[in-house]
Parts: sequence; structure tokens; C-alpha cells
Amino acid sequence: MMSDIQKTENKPNYFSTAIWLVLVALTIVSFCIGETGMQGQDVMLTLLAITMIKSQLVANYFMGLYKTKLLWRGIMFSYFVIVGGLIALAYLKGIP
Amino acid sequence: MTKTQNIGTRLNISTNTLNKEDLPGDFALWIFIFAEMLAFGVLFVAYAFARAKDVAIFNESQLTLSLSSGVINTLVLITSSYFVVRGVSAIKHGSSKHCAYFLTGAFLLGGVFVCVKMWEFNAKFSAGITMSTNNFYMFYLSLTFFHFMHVLMGMVILGYIIIKSLRSGYSVQDYVGVETGASFWHMVDFLWIILFPLIYIIR
Repeated sequence: MMSDIQKTENKPNYFSTAIWLVLVALTIVSFCIGETGMQGQDVMLTLLAITMIKSQLVANYFMGLYKTKLLWRGIMFSYFVIVGGLIALAYLKGIP
Repeated sequence: MTKTQNIGTRLNISTNTLNKEDLPGDFALWIFIFAEMLAFGVLFVAYAFARAKDVAIFNESQLTLSLSSGVINTLVLITSSYFVVRGVSAIKHGSSKHCAYFLTGAFLLGGVFVCVKMWEFNAKFSAGITMSTNNFYMFYLSLTFFHFMHVLMGMVILGYIIIKSLRSGYSVQDYVGVETGASFWHMVDFLWIILFPLIYIIR
């Protein structure tokens, strides 16, 4: 019984590892954009889109919300849509 | 089976189904998580609108930040969150020892985050930069310090769970405490994922 438990536990968790690798890759993409010093509406929207993907990956697969009620996933998604949307609006306001 | 037992069984089934769809960990902590996210959300939006009024100062000041330390801290927090996921998975499979090892990895990475952030704060304070230097630094210092305090709090929670795991305080049947601590740590990661591009990159 115990050896079965140990065997299951020792199996690599491929899915969470894949999510982690995607998060690392997206972080490096954001960093490269920052390093080039690019700016403007398209860059800002791209960075916000990357941030939205990353935040939803963390919420759904690291926090484990993908298996909960739609309500909880909806709250996390709406949070980013509202906060991210207002940030985008403010930045567009600031573009000369 | 009597009628009462039948109702009991039905209730049990519906409760289990409900639990399966519920938030992981203690619901009380989720109230706290949502409140914290709301507080940070207001600050993120306030930063963006304050920047819109003074774009030149914000862009100029942003260039003085160390993008490298920002990305290192992002990678550190993402990886620590991954270790926490593995820790939760380990306890769900009955391995208290593996759970403690993974959470210790996450705890140590939290320590790396704290060291990098303290180095960054020290560099700014040594250069004579304070919260009253300008609006950008006011937001940068308050937002990152507020987040820094959450990292410290998360480390205290992880430390407690690690000790309890090493003493076999959690099991396959009872791991709510691990999930609760994990949810808090993921929130810290979630908020930094928004904070990093907002303060360090987007201009």
C-alpha cells in the first residue's frame, strides 16, 4: 500500500512542470521586451496580454482553480480584466 | 437501508461534490486573499493613472530600476510556486517527507527574493531616493514594500507547514493546512506577476 503511494508520488508531475516552463518562457519574453526599451500602445498591450496569460495560468493550475466552480475562476478572470483594462486605459490616456 | 440513512447518503454525496468544487484550503483565507487582491488592484490602477498625469517623470525614474533583479525575482517566485504545487501533490499522495522537502525549496527561494529585494531597496536608499523623491518612487517603494511584507508573511506560513509536515502533522485525509498555505503563497506570486511588468517594464 505504502509503496504504491510512494510510486505515484515519485511520478514526475509533467503537467505542472509544463506550466512552470511556459511561465518561465513568458517571463523571459517580457524581460527581452523590457531590455530593448520598446514602448508604445502595441508593446503595452502585448505585455498586458502576456501578464494576463501568466496570471491565469497561476490561478487555474497552480492555485488549482480549474477544478473549482466557474464562480471562482470567473472572479480571478474578472479581476485581471478589470484591473488590466483600467491600466490599459490609463496608459492610453498617457500616450501623447 | 432506512429512509433516514438514504437521505444521509444523498446529503453526503452532495456535500462531497460541493467540496470538490470548492476553493482549495480554508475558505476564511480566501476572503483574506480576495481582500488583498482588491487592495493591490486599487494600488495598481492608482499607479497607472498617476503615471498618465506625469509620463516623463515616471518613464525617466523607471529607467533607474534594475530590470535584472526584477526578472530574477519573478523567476524565483514562479519557481517557488511550482515547488509549492509539488509539495501539495506530495501530501495528497501521502508523502509528508516529500511535501516538506518541496516546501523547503519554496521557502529558500522566498529567502532569495527577500535578499534581492533588500539589495534593491538598499541601492535606492543609498542613492538618496525616498518615497518623497517623486510620485514614481512613492508608488515603487510602497507597492514593492507592501508586497515584500506579504512574501515575509508567506515564508512564516511555509515555515510552520514545513515543521508540521516533518512531524507528520498532515496526511492524505488531512492536508487542508498545506493547501491553505499554498494558496497564500500562490497569491503572492500572482500579485508579483502583475507588479513586475507594471513597475519595471511597461512605459
